[in-house]
Amino acid sequence: MVFADLYFLYFFLPLCLLSYFFARTLKAKNTVLIIFSLIFYAWGEPVWVLLLLFSAWFNWFLGLQIEKNRNRAGAKAAVGIGIAVDLLLLLVFKYSGFFVENINALLGSAIPVPKIRLPIGISFFTFQAISYILDCYWETVAVQRTFKKFLLYLSLFPQLIAGPIVRYSVVEAEIDNRKTTVNDLCEGALRAILGLAKKVIIANNLWVIVDTFFGKDITGLSFLGTWYTVIVYSLYVYFDFSGYSDIAIGLGRMFGFHFDENFRHPFACKTIAEFWQRWHISLGSFFRDYLLYVPIFGKNRKYVSLFLVWFCTGMWHGASWNFILWGLYFGFFIFFEQKLGKKRMKKWPIWWKHIYSKLVIIIGFGIFYFENLGQLGLFFRNMFGISSLFYEVPFADQLTWGSFQNNLFLILVAIACSLPLLPKIKEFFLSNNNDTIYTMGRVCALFGCLALLIISSILLVDATNNPFLYFRF
Amino acid sequence: MNSERIDENRTEAVRRRRKRNYRKMMEARLSAISLLVMVPVFLLIALFLLVWPRTKVSQIEKRELATFPNFSFQSYFDGEFTSGITKFYDDTVPFRDSFKVKGNQLKGLFGLRGKDSAPTIIGPGNVVAPPKPVETQPSQTEPPTDPANMGMAGRLPQDTKPTDPPTEEPTQRDYTGQEAEGNYENGLLIVNQDGHWRCMELFGGGSGTNYAEALNTLQEKLGSGVTIYSMPAPLASEFYVPSNFAEYSASQSQCFDGIAEKLNSGIVSINVCNTLSKHTEEPIYLRTDHHWQPLGAYYAAQAFAEAAGVPFADISEYEVGKNEGFVGTMYAFSGDDRLRNDPEDFTYYVPKASYKTHYYDLSFNYKYTGRLLQGVDTANSYLMFMGGDSNVVKIDTEVKNGRRLLIVKDSYGNAEVPFYTSSFEQVFVVDMRYFERNLVNFIKAMNITDVLFTMSSYSAVGSNANNIMNLIEQDASSQIVDGQLTAPEED
Repeated sequence: MVFADLYFLYFFLPLCLLSYFFARTLKAKNTVLIIFSLIFYAWGEPVWVLLLLFSAWFNWFLGLQIEKNRNRAGAKAAVGIGIAVDLLLLLVFKYSGFFVENINALLGSAIPVPKIRLPIGISFFTFQAISYILDCYWETVAVQRTFKKFLLYLSLFPQLIAGPIVRYSVVEAEIDNRKTTVNDLCEGALRAILGLAKKVIIANNLWVIVDTFFGKDITGLSFLGTWYTVIVYSLYVYFDFSGYSDIAIGLGRMFGFHFDENFRHPFACKTIAEFWQRWHISLGSFFRDYLLYVPIFGKNRKYVSLFLVWFCTGMWHGASWNFILWGLYFGFFIFFEQKLGKKRMKKWPIWWKHIYSKLVIIIGFGIFYFENLGQLGLFFRNMFGISSLFYEVPFADQLTWGSFQNNLFLILVAIACSLPLLPKIKEFFLSNNNDTIYTMGRVCALFGCLALLIISSILLVDATNNPFLYFRF
Repeated sequence: MNSERIDENRTEAVRRRRKRNYRKMMEARLSAISLLVMVPVFLLIALFLLVWPRTKVSQIEKRELATFPNFSFQSYFDGEFTSGITKFYDDTVPFRDSFKVKGNQLKGLFGLRGKDSAPTIIGPGNVVAPPKPVETQPSQTEPPTDPANMGMAGRLPQDTKPTDPPTEEPTQRDYTGQEAEGNYENGLLIVNQDGHWRCMELFGGGSGTNYAEALNTLQEKLGSGVTIYSMPAPLASEFYVPSNFAEYSASQSQCFDGIAEKLNSGIVSINVCNTLSKHTEEPIYLRTDHHWQPLGAYYAAQAFAEAAGVPFADISEYEVGKNEGFVGTMYAFSGDDRLRNDPEDFTYYVPKASYKTHYYDLSFNYKYTGRLLQGVDTANSYLMFMGGDSNVVKIDTEVKNGRRLLIVKDSYGNAEVPFYTSSFEQVFVVDMRYFERNLVNFIKAMNITDVLFTMSSYSAVGSNANNIMNLIEQDASSQIVDGQLTAPEED
């Protein structure tokens, strides 16, 4: 099931909310959430829901073993086995086809390529499980003794299939002790609607543009057309994914959970390092906390592990070379920024920082888009004007101009919403001492969100098929 | 003094605390009020979607909507059952078409559009993904050209266009030589010409090798007794892409010539581009649909009859019918509101000649004898010819010339069929995508003398053409019998 879907919004969700709030005790509420989460998952994966259950049970069990064997070799073994099995699952389901294809290409062998369908959300819940085991081992969280509660953490449907990668420590206390206030419920709902609008109104329609120009062979696409489309694509990815995270955070809030933010207006960044502190924060922090400081690389570990982190970040996004390239590309710029030093970067004029960072990000999204490396090559040629200069490909074209005119307001709104304007407006109204202004802000938020909900719902009637981009990662 | 200040501070602190508490109370109250507004709206929508009778057919998309899936363990474990429920729920929303129209209007606000010449037109729409036909059955309309198949080949520079010989008829306007306002999205071009909007699929070019090879093979198998004709039908883009978009659409006329060169010498090629280009100011193509108008099919049919040396009834010998307010598939494919606000007349021609039309299923089992032109809603006007593509049809006419025609076609060919009722003794019609019998055996068993391949250029150069070879090879050993001849007479 996906969030941006009428069936989820108006059938599954009301049923779940009603059941949840009719349940009296927290225990009953937790049971309701587990049941609905499993139905939610099984709706898309009627078979692999067993894998989710196994993963939950297995990692929960290892948590217990770690505690039992605290300070003994057994704990280390449990962590080792846990990570190995979790990664193996990911490897088998997500990367086996990729590996076999590459081995075949490299050795000229003809090993049949396994066609395993990637279970939804496996990249997310596997990472959550790994973080739990490591946290247990490092004693940053207390081991969860009750399987049901651990299952609740791992399968909680708002964050199950497309993140954020919620750490166990974030929800640890709230599993046992939480209550939804009217404020939680209201703000959660408003947040979820905002996320829905980001996805349905903005992202889905930006995608139409992307598909028009990048959806086919891009041979002959003009210089401006390429830039236009890749900028739109960058916005699209942001709105698609952050919209999803907003829905997840909002729904979590309605059930009394407070997840961490996953995006903080990444396009407002001034450096690439800052971009990654604002973009898919839960993934970046996962790698930072669990991989970057693993002391296995000796003297040069700083740089070796930096590139390892970025290699993995890229690979996490998909079993394809362009994703790995994408990760390493960002690794290179982080490395470059580190070498340059903060002091020297500070001296850069602000406009240059913005141009530099936005250029790197936008080109990066081009790499992210083109899984076909031949097309990626063409993309670069188009983008740097080589096609225009040497292959008689036009500099600009009528189609781009028409599309731009047609979608002018959509793109402007998207750009405005990708910058931290809304939080500033929100702050003005909601932190205002004047009660009238405060009330006005709340009323506007209410009716604004209601309008967004209705518009999104109408647009959803037409969108029979709009899976989230991050669905399969 | 000191105590006074302390008092002051205290009162200030108290005041602040009160203010804070008051704000907190306000916050909670406003949240509660917000919820009191939101929850009923939310639940009402949920209830509406749950209990209101579901829509079954979409007039805009011209298709039957999804039905509730049947449960089986197999379908459950495949995920088809659950996804079927979601699809049913999403697809059959009450008042689906009205909501779609509203949605398209909203999308029309996303950007600037040029001024509309037609006065009633309001903010036009954006493009949505083409609806995918749900049925596994033969679809009644073919989807628009798949942009993925077309590539950007359409960007090839295009300098030659069929030019009119400086002869008899008044030269019609060359729309391809003029600029026009328009825009392109999702593989569809929408332009304003003579104050009306026209939506077109661009032609990406193609070799048509598979098509030509299949026809050659068929000819070799049939020998000399049967004449094969190839008359691909150009898409509207051949005639109506304005010069400012010309580079995005390849020449179909050149493409047809290329196909003709690949065909064996005994196969007669008819390139109708030139013929049709003399009538561009007449309604030969639908503006809001991916098909041509019956009038376009008439001119093509005339060219074929001439090539085949058969009699042909002038258009004045037909009764003219008109469906006003027709909006075709291009609205559904593009979601562009300008098309919906600019409907057109669907003009059709009913033969005065007498004939009998017999319907068969795709395996050539006789079903019934009925009308060639069927009664349909205006929205489904193009389905009037034989009810679409899911039948095999035989027409017995009163012509006595010993010529029996088999038409192998996609939906473009449907509109030609009525015009052959005074040209051949018998006309058989099969769809090149769905026919289930062996083409060679069929031609021999029905004593066909002429075989006409007539389909859109999209089918001739695209993946549909691959199926022609399949028609030649499939079901090779079976005997084909005309069930209608043995069926009890009915009227």
